[in-house]
Amino acid sequence: MKGDKLEDKDNKKDVNYWRGFRELKNDPEFLEAKKNEFAEELPLDSNEPGMSGLSRRKFLTLLASSAALAATACSDYRDKGAIVPYNRKPEEVTVGAPSFYASTCTSCANACGILVRTREGRPIKIDGNPDHPVNKGKICATGQASILDLYEPSRIKDAMLKSGAGFIASNWADADAKIIDELKKTAASGKEIAVITHTVNSPSLKILFEDFSAKYNTAKFYSYELINDTNKFSAFKKSFGREGLPVIDWKEAKVIVSLESDFLGKEGNPVESMRLYAESRDVMKKDGEFNRLYVVEGGFSVTGANSDYRIRLRTDAIEEFVYALIAAAGENKSDINGLISKYNLKKEAALSLVEDLLANKGKAIVLAGNALPESTHIAVNKLNDILGNTKLYSKESFDAPVMPLTPREEIEALISRMNSGSVGMVIHFDTNPVYHFSSDYKYPDALKKAGMVITMSEQINETAELSNYALGISHNFEGWGDFKPRTGVYSLQQPVIAPLYKTRQKEAALLNWMTDNPGNYHENDYMNYIKTNWEKGVYGAAGAKSDFKNFWFNSLHDGVVLFNEKTDGTFSFKNEAFMPAPAFRASSDAVVILNKSAFLGDGRYANNGWLQEIPNPISKVVWDNYAAVSPAYAEKLGVKTNDLVEITTGGRTLKAAVFVQPGMADDVVAMDLGYGRTGAGVIGNGVGFNSIELIQKNPKLSDRLYADGKITKAGGTYELITTQEQYPIDHERYNDIHFKREVIREGVYEEYKEKPNFLKEEKGETALFNIVPSYEFTTTKWAMSIDLNKCVGCNYCVAACNVENNIPVVGKEQVGKHRHMMWLRIDRYYGGKSDDPKVSFQPMLCQHCDNAPCENVCPVAATNHSPDGLNQMAYNRCVGTRYCSNNCPYKVRRFNYFNFRNNLADGYYEQTSLSLMHNPEVTVRSRGVMEKCTFCVQRIMDERQHATQEGRPLDGDRVRTACQDACPTNAIVFGDLTKKDSEIVKHRNHELGYHVLEEINVRPNVTYIAKLRNIKPEKKS
Amino acid sequence: MRTFDYTQEIPVVDGKPPAKSIDEVISKPLGTKPGKVWKALITVTTLMLLVGGGALGWTFYKGIGVWGNNQPVGWGFDIVNFVFWVGIGHAGTLISAILFLLRQRWRTGIARFAEAMTIFAVMCAGIFPAIHTGRAWLDGYLFPYPNANNIWVNFTSPLLWDVFAVSTYFTVSLVFWYIGLIPDFATLRDHTDNKLKKTIYSMFSLGWRHSTRHWQHYEKTYMILAGFATPLVLSVHTIVSFDFAVSVIPGWHTTIFPPYFVAGAVFSGFAMVQNVLIFVRQAFDLKHIITINHLEKMNQVIIVVGTMVGYAYAMEFFTAWYSGNQFETFTFINRALGPYAWAYWTMVTCNVILPQLFWVKKIRTTIFSMFVIGVIVNIGMWFERFVIIVTSLSRDFLPSSWGMYTPTIYDLGILMFSFGLFFTNVLLFVKTLPSVSIAEVKAVVDGAQPSHKGGTH
Repeated sequence: MKGDKLEDKDNKKDVNYWRGFRELKNDPEFLEAKKNEFAEELPLDSNEPGMSGLSRRKFLTLLASSAALAATACSDYRDKGAIVPYNRKPEEVTVGAPSFYASTCTSCANACGILVRTREGRPIKIDGNPDHPVNKGKICATGQASILDLYEPSRIKDAMLKSGAGFIASNWADADAKIIDELKKTAASGKEIAVITHTVNSPSLKILFEDFSAKYNTAKFYSYELINDTNKFSAFKKSFGREGLPVIDWKEAKVIVSLESDFLGKEGNPVESMRLYAESRDVMKKDGEFNRLYVVEGGFSVTGANSDYRIRLRTDAIEEFVYALIAAAGENKSDINGLISKYNLKKEAALSLVEDLLANKGKAIVLAGNALPESTHIAVNKLNDILGNTKLYSKESFDAPVMPLTPREEIEALISRMNSGSVGMVIHFDTNPVYHFSSDYKYPDALKKAGMVITMSEQINETAELSNYALGISHNFEGWGDFKPRTGVYSLQQPVIAPLYKTRQKEAALLNWMTDNPGNYHENDYMNYIKTNWEKGVYGAAGAKSDFKNFWFNSLHDGVVLFNEKTDGTFSFKNEAFMPAPAFRASSDAVVILNKSAFLGDGRYANNGWLQEIPNPISKVVWDNYAAVSPAYAEKLGVKTNDLVEITTGGRTLKAAVFVQPGMADDVVAMDLGYGRTGAGVIGNGVGFNSIELIQKNPKLSDRLYADGKITKAGGTYELITTQEQYPIDHERYNDIHFKREVIREGVYEEYKEKPNFLKEEKGETALFNIVPSYEFTTTKWAMSIDLNKCVGCNYCVAACNVENNIPVVGKEQVGKHRHMMWLRIDRYYGGKSDDPKVSFQPMLCQHCDNAPCENVCPVAATNHSPDGLNQMAYNRCVGTRYCSNNCPYKVRRFNYFNFRNNLADGYYEQTSLSLMHNPEVTVRSRGVMEKCTFCVQRIMDERQHATQEGRPLDGDRVRTACQDACPTNAIVFGDLTKKDSEIVKHRNHELGYHVLEEINVRPNVTYIAKLRNIKPEKKS
Repeated sequence: MRTFDYTQEIPVVDGKPPAKSIDEVISKPLGTKPGKVWKALITVTTLMLLVGGGALGWTFYKGIGVWGNNQPVGWGFDIVNFVFWVGIGHAGTLISAILFLLRQRWRTGIARFAEAMTIFAVMCAGIFPAIHTGRAWLDGYLFPYPNANNIWVNFTSPLLWDVFAVSTYFTVSLVFWYIGLIPDFATLRDHTDNKLKKTIYSMFSLGWRHSTRHWQHYEKTYMILAGFATPLVLSVHTIVSFDFAVSVIPGWHTTIFPPYFVAGAVFSGFAMVQNVLIFVRQAFDLKHIITINHLEKMNQVIIVVGTMVGYAYAMEFFTAWYSGNQFETFTFINRALGPYAWAYWTMVTCNVILPQLFWVKKIRTTIFSMFVIGVIVNIGMWFERFVIIVTSLSRDFLPSSWGMYTPTIYDLGILMFSFGLFFTNVLLFVKTLPSVSIAEVKAVVDGAQPSHKGGTH
């Protein structure tokens, strides 16, 4: 009121200066309007049609801020390099969209079908080819990680010529001229041209070899494998008169007996056998019956860890055990009882094994490991035959290499010819015999007398170092090939990237040496060669209706061609092969078994950091092999883990570090092959111990099994690094701690059948409540389920996760400091006592808890929850307090203590070629940032984008995480919980489903399906 | 045998020094050239600072991977040192604020020094949260500032509470300390004829003229600030303890932590103040101002809070057993019998058993024995934090992720850096500022205050 009066007074004062009659008359309406200085509204946020909606002020604000932003952007301290426009876009490439190419994996002789994911022309990920009948969309850890070899910085980038102690860069033209000249001279002089290769499972390569020896008539081809199935093959041939090994009908096998056979780990094609084994372990199938797995072994394999009954028996006594089973099959159980007391076997397991074998005639299978002697394999064939189990052998479908491996005697003959100077040229066709051959052969000495030595290899290796030429060959992804791993299965290998360097694929190099015009070399030479062969062979056999061009492109697209190949039907056991009653050795010496390394193949992947860093599935040791002994044997020898021992067999000694492995048979030493390399490269050199030194030229049992071992303490120690702490499992405080804590929950199959709800009843319903209302996930909620019945602990998912998510390699020292970076790990727990533990595996990854304890402690909100239920990390926001990791009950968070790419071996993995490998959809994390499993959020976003583009709702079933894609047994299921009919909902609500650490109420979103052991329930007495 | 007259208060200051001599005695180190001992000591401390600084520099260059921290044990020496130093700081505030409010006149001799130590200790403490992050250059994200991305800090994180608690504590302590220094600055200004010193002292004394009016304002301000600082004594370490108590990790997730941490902080703080004062009173002839009686009183506080800490240790075990929670039970059995048992028993011996010797009057009034026990208490309290942080993290829920923590030389280097910083600061302080409050001591000299009894009381 007071104000009004004042105003009135003022108005009266200014009465002389009126602007109109309304003012003069003091019109109240006018006076009111006059208070406002601007009669019209200020154009702060202009909404006028035709205008951009931008006010002058806002425009100026934006102008100023973008100028400021531009200024700060210019002063960025990081050098981001040049940006090159993609203005000459290749056909088939869409920027940002991956392309997939079907090809074949050449990591081992199994030749699995693969799909290579490429982005902007760069291969970044390998998955199995779902159309391939053998591996069905899955691929092993080694195959997954082989992508690193393509981008390996130390690859040979051209033809290299030996000069003094090292190599100097040469070129292919010079090399070709000299080599062809030498080939001609050698052939003319009648001296031998020896080509040494690995398993040949490529039909075209076989033809190429034939053509090559037609051109140079002294050429001979030798193939060898360090890890071979020779005994198995020869035993099968002697027993049944057939080449190759028949495919087994796993579905019908109710009882599986593995004798030192790691079919779930390293033998045969484990990708296939794991899947087929786990198909009979499916709790989601209501009528599905479980198979029962018995393992008799001296070492401790993944298969043994998965067994229902495991019998520890020194490996050289397995043959005796088989003979006792044969006797038991003839109703004579005295032998088996004798053995039980002789070797102190687990009685109930051994008797149950006999009982089950007899009760399941024709529905059981006995498998012998490929390290066992031929005679054992023959006895196993006999056992399978008398039990009628050969019914499970396929009569049509066989696994066999296109060319059989060269017998041992022929290799020996070659070497003596080399020594006598009658070999003019040796061509190592991507092989490394200097490392692989038994030292008995004295192969390096023989090489010196062999004229010209050529080694084709991706990297300089032990053999290349002793050669005149080291020829850089292309990676699998840069070349062509065809393969025939099984009857009626042909697959193709195609390049997915042009050769990164001046390399040639080894077949093309050989082909080029056969032409008169080597200067006309073209990348596609070998493709044309294969095409010609296919037109002549496969095309006709497949009975395709289209023309060859179409057939070829379709085959290339599918990666695999299947057709009915005629094989002769039946076969029967030849009794003359079987020796009825051999004299069994009763050695008290140690048994030495040499096993295939879990991930390094025969050592050729020793320079692959990812593979070195994936822990051994059982021992969890990384970056090393070791002499594994049982706790009792270690005590007898007076050694403990990390002590050095000397292993002596047949006059050879090897110093190696001991690892006390619970569950090994006593008096057995198990070592992995493929370590201790000297010519592998920066990463692989000097990792572990070269156990090939123990291999004999003419072994009594088999090249990987010796029964005359002597172990003595050598003094000194060598540090072995494990990713899991070795707490004393026999100690009361730690015994079965994973069961007590309900981290692992298990049941017995029969009891589950009677009482399906036992798991829930065991614990009762716990009422967990929140003090604040829980967030309702209405649109999408991501969740995962892992079926522990199917998980065999193979670690393939770990490899897939590493590749997909750009996980750095940290090195042995950093793993030793508990700083490995793997987002997904397979936890291995030992239950029971250390002499014969019960193993449980559990893949552990971020549980994406609803009440995530990591989220509320982050001071900067760098880790938070998405509306679709993901626990997410904003790397840019993370300052690295590590509070989240401390507060994570599952300890799945990983911290970049260094810039790990820069930290290992002077930044070995930070070199330019490797930056091409990274998945562009996933941020490469730098130092000081926390990271963890994202549930492959990039794949979720990809599906979200597709759904939006196609105008449909998001379909959770279409999102597959990398680990899920890789899991050979399909144990991992991922999806959207709000979609009620999805697989994930079924799994999550399954009666065997449980969450780890349920009671701390963090509400994890990974459901584990409790493992059921198919053991016979204890008889109620 | 001489009987002790309990009706008589023990004089706060021995003898009856005239005001002028108090001025002179306290300000003497400020006016004299540093002696050999001082020079030797500062050489040692600055060397520690430099060598430790090298470790810190290497950490910034390479990443905190040069430390021993790892996947289960995300916090090691970094946070152990942080909690340790924050704890050290507590004695100062307790002495200057709480004892002031409780009218404990014996505090006058030691308050200034204790406050200074608080500030230096909090400075040392403050380093660790700042450098322990993986990307220390982004520490600014921890402060809530308006930004274009509209990203706010996470107020549910105890680490953020720490940021506020520690920075508030530091600010209040600094202001409190400075207010107390104003009359002394004026005294120094009045006594010096060095021009530079006069200018500096004049600036810091803010025109103080010892007028009654000034004194009135001063006393009120001081009282208000003391009131303000008092809750901080409890709150800061309570909030530091929340870093652990709010988590889910067994061994951390426990409600006993706030009082337990505060008692522990006072415990270690008093031990540290007592240790350093022993040197100061010896070196600067302040034995009549910082008397054995003061030190004894501090030792008595040490035994009280030490026993509280011992009680807390016992209660943790009881709770673990009584809860029936297997994770909690395991954690505590693992502390006492697991791989870090040596650290646990070091802690118990140093914090619970040995301080009990202070029950013996002879031990708590003998300089040598009290010094040794003071050092032991601080070793014990450092280990307490180590035990809480490292043993709990190294073996938590899933046995698969267990892992041991081993510190590296860089961890030790940075610990040395913090000690270097602390003692360098202390040494510089005793040579540049009056380490005992001149004004306050004058007020507690026998006869300085009017007494209804008349004369001495």
